[in-house]
Parts: sequence; structure tokens; C-alpha cells
Amino acid sequence: MPKCTINGKEIEVPQGTTVIEAFKMLGDDICHYCWHPGLSVAGVCRLCMVHIEGMPKLQIACNTEVRDGMVVTNQTDDVKDTVKWGLDFHLINHPLDCPICDQAGECGLQDQYMKFGKYDPEMAEPKVKKHKVVDLGPTVVLDSERCILCSRCVRFTEEVTETNELGIFNRGDRAEIGTVQGRPLDNNYSLNTVDICPVGALTSKDFRFRQRVWYLKDSESICPGCSTGCNVKVYFNEEGLWRVKPRYNAEVNGHWMCDEGRNTYKYVNAAHRLKKVKAGQSGDWSQEEVFPETMKLGEKFRAAAEKNPESIAVLVTGQYTNEEFKNFFEFVADELKVKNIFHWINNPEKFDDFDGLLLRGDKNPNTYGLKEEMKSRGGFKSLEDLQGKMSQFEWVLVLGPENQSQFPDLKEKVDLLSQAKSVIWLSACETPELDALRAPTHQIPMKTYIEKEGSFTNFKGLVQEFKRGTTVIEDALTLQEVVALLRGHELDYRNRPQPIGGTKKNHFTNVRGQL
Amino acid sequence: MSKAFELSKEGAELVKKELTRYETKHSAIIPALYQVQKENGWVPPESIEYLAGLMGLPESHINEVFSFYTMFNKVPTGKLHVQVCTNISCSMNGGRELAKKLCERFNVKPGEVSKDGLVTISQVECLGSCDTAPMMQVNDRYIENLDFEKAVQALKEMGAQ
Repeated sequence: MPKCTINGKEIEVPQGTTVIEAFKMLGDDICHYCWHPGLSVAGVCRLCMVHIEGMPKLQIACNTEVRDGMVVTNQTDDVKDTVKWGLDFHLINHPLDCPICDQAGECGLQDQYMKFGKYDPEMAEPKVKKHKVVDLGPTVVLDSERCILCSRCVRFTEEVTETNELGIFNRGDRAEIGTVQGRPLDNNYSLNTVDICPVGALTSKDFRFRQRVWYLKDSESICPGCSTGCNVKVYFNEEGLWRVKPRYNAEVNGHWMCDEGRNTYKYVNAAHRLKKVKAGQSGDWSQEEVFPETMKLGEKFRAAAEKNPESIAVLVTGQYTNEEFKNFFEFVADELKVKNIFHWINNPEKFDDFDGLLLRGDKNPNTYGLKEEMKSRGGFKSLEDLQGKMSQFEWVLVLGPENQSQFPDLKEKVDLLSQAKSVIWLSACETPELDALRAPTHQIPMKTYIEKEGSFTNFKGLVQEFKRGTTVIEDALTLQEVVALLRGHELDYRNRPQPIGGTKKNHFTNVRGQL
Repeated sequence: MSKAFELSKEGAELVKKELTRYETKHSAIIPALYQVQKENGWVPPESIEYLAGLMGLPESHINEVFSFYTMFNKVPTGKLHVQVCTNISCSMNGGRELAKKLCERFNVKPGEVSKDGLVTISQVECLGSCDTAPMMQVNDRYIENLDFEKAVQALKEMGAQ
């Protein structure tokens, strides 16, 4: 393992490490655009200049391997001067339209310029006009004038997705990113190009102009979109969630995530959510208060179970956390001795699909955890057993999916359950299909992944914990809370997490006195 | 919907042979594009799609090379593609005036095809023949030490009206 000195600090690095990687390991500042840890080295931006003792000229850190005894610095005057001028050249044709640019606030060009910039540009030539607002496809918009031709997005489509949609066409100051004959950039990973774009050239159609990034908070979470369990950051404010971005985890998703996973913020927002218990049946629904209604249900449910556990069926989806499943099965399977437990999967034909990168056909974040939990309890009964037997059941409890649209057979299930005597359906979202249920039903509003904490076990058995980020629907319940209410326990609803900036009184107003 | 493009049998054979000649397939892109231009006079967008299929390379890679070099014609040219050098030596010896006069003489705007479809006149950068300035290249022939009369004479001999 070669040892080198970087800005006076000694570091030992694995063979083959580049100088820029050594800088990153030390956490030292180094200006760069085109280098990205998840892509090949291009060496086109010429900004990661370093001075290496014994070398006559400055070298680029991204394409220089560390050798034993190397003494590297980027603190000399000539390095700083070179970077300064390099940045100025990058800005020759850049429109400097930060006030109207969607990238502002998380822009590599802004960040680097604040640190290393010249602050006194000497370029008097008129700027080259290039294409603006180029529709690159269903998800991405391109502004060529802002592009500094770092080629990260081109390398991404070449190396990661291997779809090769993007290229750098024409030459010199007319060179532009584009697709051949304006064909769309249409793959399930296209929005990663927006993430890695260090400037505002590629922006997301879904997110652009909707929020300024400095008004958003973020929270680390796990994508609930499929069983891969990509590590993500969710961005939100008091109005709800705005976007999902990937977070680096070498074991699971690397630097990337799929476009489908990025949509997992949409159904979380209040407009799509159940806010109260919806009681009734097809065409006749009433809104009931969550806590008393669920407790009332619990009494009837427990009474039926004590009389005859066979009169109860439970339909489970792998959409809840390990902790919730444990708690739930302890109550239903161990305490109430319910044996009719069925596993509902999103799509039997596509369940084992895998696109070769990240996306899996199993649209549940925790199928593995669910199966583990059921192993000791004798596993599931086959779903076919359910056909034609519905009317035998007094109660059917459905642990429904968070994002119901992922389950294409929802309508069939609704038809099937319409034959039951009464249904309790736990669900985060309002769904028109569900409202067609003809049996007497209680739809109980559930919390989504960003509103609770726990852990998901991904397809290969990796347990990933996540924390609560925000609360959108205050009255929505976690599965543990449902279990507690069904057991007949009171919940201290005053101390429950509140939405940020909501109009309701918060925990502190509840506990403070009055004068 | 544009017509599908195809090289002649010999042309396709040549491209396939070029593919095996270099370390990477990408090295064969320029000879392949030249072959298209030779057979077709210019490189139409459909031919990029065709070459991508023939060479087993992504279209974007071929288009990158194609759009980088100016010697590939991006629009149809006349039968005689007249490229008048207007780089330093030729300009100093009247290259620009020559190009302008030729345009007037053959009644055609720079880069466009004349009405009879015979002539395209374009101004280009250095063609590496500075010692014989001013000069022009007609298709793949250099015509050197020009003045206006000599240029017109040469073009007439090659079939221009």
C-alpha cells in the first residue's frame, strides 16, 4: 500500500487509488467537475490541478495514481491561480442566470466559484448562444448554455445504463450535449443524470421551479418502491414531500436509484392520503375519528377471535417494517391464534423480475422480513384457499400496500373481499378501487415510510434501519398503534409526532400551562 | 419518415473490413463515414442509424464523430463541391474575394446548391496548400495558384455552367 503526503498530511491508500480519491479520503477540499466516484475518469474539466513534488508541471488529481512517497499539494499559488483561471474559462459561455436557475443552491459551479473563483471576470466577448429548454425526454430538461461539458451524463448513459442516448455533438465552443436526432432520453435511470450534473444544465421536469432547495429539509430513508431497498434522501417542507434522491451505499445501490423509486414521494402527500377512518361500503362512506373508531373495532375483532380464530383471515403485504410485523404477528398469530394468514404479492408473474441494475419486480420493501417473521409461525396459507371461502370469514384484516397503484390486481382483491362479512383495510392512500368494496369496511389511515421509523430487510437479507423524517397526516397510524388500539390500549395522542408548520397545536402547547 | 439508408455491397464490405483493422471499433467510424459520403455525396441522418447497426456501435458515438468534423457534409451538395480556402495565406492572396466572386458567377449562396444542382461553393479553413495560395478543392482535387478566370475555367472544364 503506497503512502503519500497530501497537503502535509500522510495517508496510506490502497494500490491504484488516484490522487483525487486520496484527497476525498482525507476530506481535503479539491475543485472538480467531471470526476465522479461512480463513473470513469474523463479528465476534461482540468480543475483538480495539484502540484506533485518532482514533476515539472501541474497534474490533474483524478487521472494520477498515488505512488509511494508522493508529496502532493493544492495549496500553492500556481495551483490556486490555475484553478481560478480554469473556472473563468468554464464561465466564458455560461449565462450566469443563477437567480432563475433551478440548480441554484446545490450547484457545483456556484460552490466551486465561491471557494476558488476569480470574482473579476475578464471575458469581454459576447457569449455563444446555445439551445435552451431542450425537451430531452419524459423526465429531463436540458439547458445547453449552462452546460460546461463535463460529460458526466454522457458517461452515465454509456457506463451505467449502457443505453448511450447522450453524446457531445459539434466542436469547440459550439459543442453541446444532446441525443441523436432529438430522440428522447428515456430510461428508468434518466434522473440520475440530473443528480450528477454539476450545473443547472440538466434539470428534472418533475421538480424544476417547484421549490428552492434551500427551503427544503432532508431526511435519510429507505426507498419503499421495491425490494432492493435503495438508500435515499427525502426532501420535504411544511407542504409535504418534494423529491427523493439517492444516497451512497456501496452494498445496495451505489450512487444511483431508479426513476420509479423517485416517484415514491408523491403518494405520501396529503392530497392522496386517508385522513380519517373511512367506514361504510361501496357508495356510502362516512368519516370517523381514528382512535375511538379503531378501538371500537378492536373490541368486536377480539370478541370474534376469541369465539373462533378460524373466523378471521389476515391478508398481508410486505410493506411494513420488521418491528411492525413482529408486533402484529405476536398479537394476531400468537395471542389471537389466527391461522388464516395469507401473503398478498403485487404481481405473481413479475415478482422475481430484475432489470439488471436496481429495480426489482417485488414492489414491497420488506418481503424478506415478512417471510422471516412468518417462518416460525408455519408460513402462509396459499392465496388460492381464499377463493370461494370469503363468506366463511367474520372479519378480514388487510395490511394493504402503501402505494396501492403498485398492485395491479387491487380490483380483483376488492371483488374477492366484497364477499366477506366485514373488512378492516389498513391503507395509507385513498383509492377509488378500494371505495368500490361492497362489504362493510373500515379503511384505517396508515403512516408511510417517511413518517415512521423501523427497518426494512431487502431482497438479500440486509436489514436497513431508517428514521422518521416528517409527519404528513397526524392521525394516521403505524401498525404498532393499530395493534395497540385493537388490543384496547389507549394511545397518548397528544404526544404523537406533528406535521411541521401545521396549524394544529403541537406537543409543547399541549404540555404548557395557562396564566 | 425518412427513407432507410444502405451502403452498396462493396461499401458495406469495406466498413466491415475496417472494423477488424484497428484495436477498437470506434477507430473505423471515420472511414465508414467517408464511405457513406463517397457513395451518397453527403451523410444523411439515416445513414448514422444504418452504420450503428452495421458496426455494432451506439448511434450517439457515430454522431459525435460526424458532428465534430467539418469535412463530412451535413447537407446535400452539388455535383461539384467547391471548397475555397480562406485561411491566412489564401486570404492574403485574395481567397475571400475569389469565393465571393465565384458565388456571384455561379449564382449561388455560400454553402447552398446552385439551381442546376451542379455547384456548391463553401469557404473552408486551411487545406494545407499555403505555398500555392489561393487555392480551392473541387471534390477531391486541388486546384492551385488561382485567380478568378482560372477558377471559372477549371470549373467549366469539370462541367459547371
